Amino acid sequence: MNSNVNIVEINSLNDNQLIELSKKNTLSLSLVEMKEVQKYFKAAKRNPTDVELETVAQTWSEHCKHKTLTGNIEYAEETSKGKKVKKYSNLLKETIFKATVELNKKWCISVFKDNAGVIDFDSKNGVAFKVETHNHPSALEPYGGSATGIGGVIRDILGVGLGAKPLANTDVFCFGLPDTKYSEVPEGMHHPKRIAKGVVSGVRDYGNRMGIPTVNGAVFFDKGYMANPLVYCGTMGIIPKNKAFKEVKSGDLVLVVGGRTGRDGIHGATFSSVELDKESDVSAVQIGNPIVEKKVLDTMLKARDLNLYRAVTDCGAGGLSSAVGELGEKTGVEVQLEKVPLKYKGLKPWEIWISEAQERMVFAVQPKNKHKILKLFKQENVEATFIGKFTNDNKLTLTYNGKKVADMSMEFLHDGVPKPTRPAVWKETKQLKQKPVKASAKVLADDMKKVLSDINVCSRDWIIRQYDHEVQGQTVVKPLLGNSIHNFGPSDAAVIWPYTVVKNTKKAVVLSNGLNPEYGKIDTYKMTTSAIEESVRNAVCVGANPEMLSVLDNFCWGNPNKPEILGSLVRAAQACYDMSKGFEIPFISGKDSLYNEYTIDGRTYSIPPALLISAMGVIEDVDKTITMNFKSAGNYIYLVGLTKNELGGSVYAKIKGLKGIVPDVDIKVSRKLMKAMYDAISSGFVEACHDCSEGGFAAAVSEMAFAGELGAKINADLIKTDFQMTLTEKLFSESNTRFIVEIMPENKEKFEKTLKGFVFAQIGTTESEQSLVIESKKSKISIKTKIKDLQKSWQRQLLG
Amino acid sequence: MKKIKAIIIRTAGTNCDYELKSAFEMCGAEAERIHINELIANKNKILSYDILAVPGGFSYGDDIASGKILSNEIKNKLGDNVKKFALSGKPIIGICNGFQILAKMGLLPKPEKFEQISTLSYNDSNKFECRWVYLKTEKKQGDTKCIWTKEIPDVISLPVAHGEGKFIADEKVLKEIEEKSQVVFRYCDKDGSKTQYPEDPNGSMNAIAGICNDKGNVFGLMPHPERYVYALQHPAREGYDGVYGWGKQIFQNAIDFLK
Amino acid sequence: MIFEIAIKMKKGFSNPHSTHLISDIKGIGVKGIKSSEYMPVYRIDSDITKKQAEIIASELLSDKITEEFSIVSYNSLSDKKIEKNSIEVWFKSGVTDTVSESVVKAIKDLGIENEVKVKTGHKYIFKGETDDKKLTKIATGLLANTLIQEYKIK
Repeated sequence: MNSNVNIVEINSLNDNQLIELSKKNTLSLSLVEMKEVQKYFKAAKRNPTDVELETVAQTWSEHCKHKTLTGNIEYAEETSKGKKVKKYSNLLKETIFKATVELNKKWCISVFKDNAGVIDFDSKNGVAFKVETHNHPSALEPYGGSATGIGGVIRDILGVGLGAKPLANTDVFCFGLPDTKYSEVPEGMHHPKRIAKGVVSGVRDYGNRMGIPTVNGAVFFDKGYMANPLVYCGTMGIIPKNKAFKEVKSGDLVLVVGGRTGRDGIHGATFSSVELDKESDVSAVQIGNPIVEKKVLDTMLKARDLNLYRAVTDCGAGGLSSAVGELGEKTGVEVQLEKVPLKYKGLKPWEIWISEAQERMVFAVQPKNKHKILKLFKQENVEATFIGKFTNDNKLTLTYNGKKVADMSMEFLHDGVPKPTRPAVWKETKQLKQKPVKASAKVLADDMKKVLSDINVCSRDWIIRQYDHEVQGQTVVKPLLGNSIHNFGPSDAAVIWPYTVVKNTKKAVVLSNGLNPEYGKIDTYKMTTSAIEESVRNAVCVGANPEMLSVLDNFCWGNPNKPEILGSLVRAAQACYDMSKGFEIPFISGKDSLYNEYTIDGRTYSIPPALLISAMGVIEDVDKTITMNFKSAGNYIYLVGLTKNELGGSVYAKIKGLKGIVPDVDIKVSRKLMKAMYDAISSGFVEACHDCSEGGFAAAVSEMAFAGELGAKINADLIKTDFQMTLTEKLFSESNTRFIVEIMPENKEKFEKTLKGFVFAQIGTTESEQSLVIESKKSKISIKTKIKDLQKSWQRQLLG
Repeated sequence: MKKIKAIIIRTAGTNCDYELKSAFEMCGAEAERIHINELIANKNKILSYDILAVPGGFSYGDDIASGKILSNEIKNKLGDNVKKFALSGKPIIGICNGFQILAKMGLLPKPEKFEQISTLSYNDSNKFECRWVYLKTEKKQGDTKCIWTKEIPDVISLPVAHGEGKFIADEKVLKEIEEKSQVVFRYCDKDGSKTQYPEDPNGSMNAIAGICNDKGNVFGLMPHPERYVYALQHPAREGYDGVYGWGKQIFQNAIDFLK
Repeated sequence: MIFEIAIKMKKGFSNPHSTHLISDIKGIGVKGIKSSEYMPVYRIDSDITKKQAEIIASELLSDKITEEFSIVSYNSLSDKKIEKNSIEVWFKSGVTDTVSESVVKAIKDLGIENEVKVKTGHKYIFKGETDDKKLTKIATGLLANTLIQEYKIK
C-alpha cells in the first residue's frame, strides 16, 4: 500500500471502539453499520484502508441512501378511535412511490430513479424537475451554502438522462425572524437577517450568472428556523426524449469534467446527517464558481447532441465516490486517483475520492469518442480528464500511483447497508373551534393591513427583483404581476414558454409550490394535504390542467431517532399517498433532509417540520394562461369554494394568539373543482384568478385589487360557509380549495354553467374607484380601505 | 436575396444568446452563436457577417467589473476588425453586458476614437434590479438618429436586469452625445416624463438607458429588447399586431436597414 | 514581489456599497460611524515590474471613468501595514477565490506572460467614532465569515 494511505484497524475493535472510530472520523455510521463493515473486512481477512472506510461512509450516508425513509419503521398511532400499529419496511416505497406506481401515468418518462423526475412535454421532448435542500451549509456560510445549493440542483438537471437544458430555477427558504434581538442569537451562529441576506445573495449570484431565471418560490419566517435555516433550490429543464436515459457499458472510460478537486466539502454527505453545534466541521463548506458550471453546461449539451458519451451524472454529496460509484454500480469501475486534477497539492487519496468540490460532472465515454470529446471541451476552456474505466468485475478498484488503495465489491457498497428499525409514534391532539371572533369595522380594516404586512404574507419583491427572473425571455407568467409596471401583486405560479428551445411550440411549463409549516406545528397530515392542494391550486390559477400535473416532495424534519418526530413524518408520508392517489397526481422525485436540529448549551432545538411540495405540469396552450390582477372595472367577482371556520395555524390566529382548526382538504370535492376551474379558465371565461391561502380571502382580494390598480365592492354576506361564521372568520379563515375569480358580465352564464354543482357565489364587482369595500349587512359592518394603503402595508420593508 | 447574417459573440458566462438568436431569426436573419475563442483563432471571420451583436450575461462572471475582462479581450485580440466593422456602418448592438462591453472598450460612443470615455457603474440601489421600465425614445423632428429604433413609439416598455447599469460620462462627453442626439433611450414614467427610482432603475446620468454612435449604427442599451419580441412576454401582454412585442421592431430595423 | 492594488472611487463618485454599509452598521447596533469607504484589493504575487503592475491596475482592475488606484509593494506579507480605522477581509488559504482565477486569465489577455498568483480582498475605511470593539463587531457581524475569511482591523 501507499504512504498516503492508512490502514484502519477495525477488525479487532469492540462496540465502543467502533462508535468512537465512527465519531472521530465523522463517518456518521451507526454501531450496526460499523459492525457490518467489520464483518465484510473480517471475511476479506484484512483491515480497510482509509479510502475504503470513507467510501463506505459516503455511500451509506443518510444523504445518499435515505436510510430512514427506506428503513424499517414501527409506527404506533393513538387517536380518539383507539390505538393502531403499522409496520413499514420502506416508507418511501409504501407511500409516495407506491402512489406513483399505482397511478401509472403514461406521460411519466423517468421517475424516482435518476437525478430528477422527467415527464412528457411534447412528442419529442420531456421536462425534468428536481428540488434539493442545502440547509446545514447555509447555516454556516449562507452565501456559499445557498450558491452551491442552486449550483448542485442545476447539475442534477444536467445529470438527468444524458443532460437536460435548464430553463428555470425555484427557491424556497425558511428563516428565523429578521427582527430577532442580537442578544438572542446563540453564540457562533449568524443573525437570521444575515443568513437571509446571504442566502438570497448566494442564489442570486449563482442563478443569475448561470443565465437561468429564478421564477417561483416562497419564504417562511419562524423563530424555529433561527439556528437552522432551510434552503430549498429547484431546477426545471427540457430534454429530448431520446436523451432521457443513460447506460454504462464495460469498457467505457470515466471522464471528469469541470472544476478541479480541492479539500472543499470533505464530509458534506455525512455532515448533513449530524446535528449542528458550535464545533461543526468547517471543511464541510463549499464555495461555488458559477462560470465554470456555465461553461460545462454550454459544452456538454453540444457533446450530448453529437452523441459523444453514453452516461453522465453530477458530483454532488459524496463527490466522485458517489458519482463514479453510481455509474459503475452495475459494471464495476477502476479509477486512478492521481489523474484527478487538483486545485492544490497535498490531498490524500481518500480526500480526492470524497471531496465535494463543486462544478464537476462525470461522464461514461466510449473509447472511440475519446479524442473528439476532449477537443470539444478544450475549445471552450473546460477542463476534462480521463481518470479510469468501467470494468465488468462488479468491483470498485481505486489506485494511486499504481498501487491499489481500495478494492471492494459493488454489491457490498450499494446493497450492504443494514436496515435500521425505528419506532415512531403519533398521539392525536384535539383541535377545537375557537369562540366566535368578532371585531368592529375599524379593527377589521386595521387587521387587514396587519395581515398584509405580516412577515409571512408581505411582498417578496426585495428578493424577487434581485433574481433575473426573465433571462431566456420565456417567463410569460412572472412572479410579480400587475396591470402596469409599477403596481404588482404576487403571482400564484410561474409559466415558462420554451419558444427558444422548441421552435413554434404553443406549449408551456407551469411551476408552483405549497408550504406551510405553521399547520405542521399542529398536524403534519393536514400540513401535507394543504401543501399539496396549495401547489395544485396555484398552478390551476394560471390556467394549468390539474390532470397534467406532477409533484415533488422535499421533507425537512428533525431527528428521526425521536419516535414522535418520526411519527409526524410517517403521517406526512401517508398524507402524500392519500393526496396523490385521490388527485391522481403522481410524485416524480423527492428528497429528504433529516436531523435538522441544533444543540446549544446542552439544549436541543428541533425545527418545525416542513414539507415543500413543488408542482410542475405542461400547459397545452400558453395563450390561455391568465394572471391574478383585476383587469377592468365593472366585472363580477366570484368566490369559488366553501369557506369554513378554519383559523387554526392561520396568519390571523398567529397575530391574535388564537387557536382553532387547521384547514382540511376534501379530496373528492377539491379534485373535481380544480378540473372545473381549469375548464372555465381554458375556455376563456376568466379574466383573473387568485387563490386564498395565507391571510385568507382578505389578503387575496386585496392583492388582486392593488396589482390591478382597481377597487372592489364585496358583499361578505354572500360568501358561502358551512356553518354560521362571523365576518372576521370569513375574511381570515384559510380554508383550502378556494379561488377568487374575475368574470366579465357577458361570461356570467357560461362561467356559472361550467361550475354547476360546486359551491360558489358572485360576491361583488370590480370598481374604478380605488378602494376595497367589504360590507356585511348581517353584521352591520362596512369596511372601506384605499387600495394604496393596502399596497403600502403589503410592500413593507422585508430585509433591506 | 442573400440572407442577412448576424453573429452573436459568446464566451464563458454569456447567457442571453439563445433568445437573441431567436429574435434575429424571427425577423428573417440567419444568426450564429460563436465563441470568442473561435473568432480569435480566425480573426477575419467576424468581417463575414452583416450584423454584430454582443449579448447580455455575466461574461467571465463579471469579475472585477461587469464586462471588463471580455472588453479587454476583444479589444486586445480583435480590436482592429471590430473597429473596422463599426466604421463600415454595419449594425452593431450591445445589450446589457454587451453595452457594458462596448462602452468599456470604447466602441461607444465614439468608435473612431476607440477609447473608453463612458462607463456603466453600480446601480444607486446597490442591488441587482430585474423589472420592466418605461423608455422614452429620443427623436429629432420625429425621427431617431439610431438605425435600430426607427418606427419605435415615443414611449415603450422593456425589461431591465442588471446590477451595474448606471451610465456615467464626464461633462464634456455627456454634452457632446446630447448635442449630437446620440441618446437613444431614457428611463421615464408612463407618459414619457422624468422619473425616479424604481422606474429609473439605476440613477444614470440624464436617465440614459441607451446610446448610439454619431452614425447611428452602433447601439448599446441596458434594457433587453430580445426579451420582448412577443406580446405574451409583456407583464400586461401588450404589443403590436396582436402578437408582437416592441423589442422585435428593434431587430427588424437592423435587417431592414441592410436591405 | 507582492503588489497590493486598491481601487477607490474618484472624487465626485460614490460607491453604493459604501453608503449601504452605513445603514447596515446601524442595523447591527453600532453607533457613531459616520462614513465608510469600500475598496476592492487585489494582491498580486509575481515577478512583474512596477510598470506592469500599473498597467494591470489601470487597464484591468480599475474603471477609467469612475475609479482610481493605489499600489503598494513589499517583499513579504510580514512587511505589510494596515491602515488606521480600517478593516481588511481576505479569504483563508485553500478557500476557492473565484475572482482571482478570472484576474489571472485577464492578466494574460493583457499580454503579460509572467506567472502570477492573485488573491482578492476587501478593504473598508471608516470615519467617525471608531474603536477596536466596534470594528470587530462590524467585521464579524457584517463583513467577514470567519469560517472562510480572515479579517484584520486597526
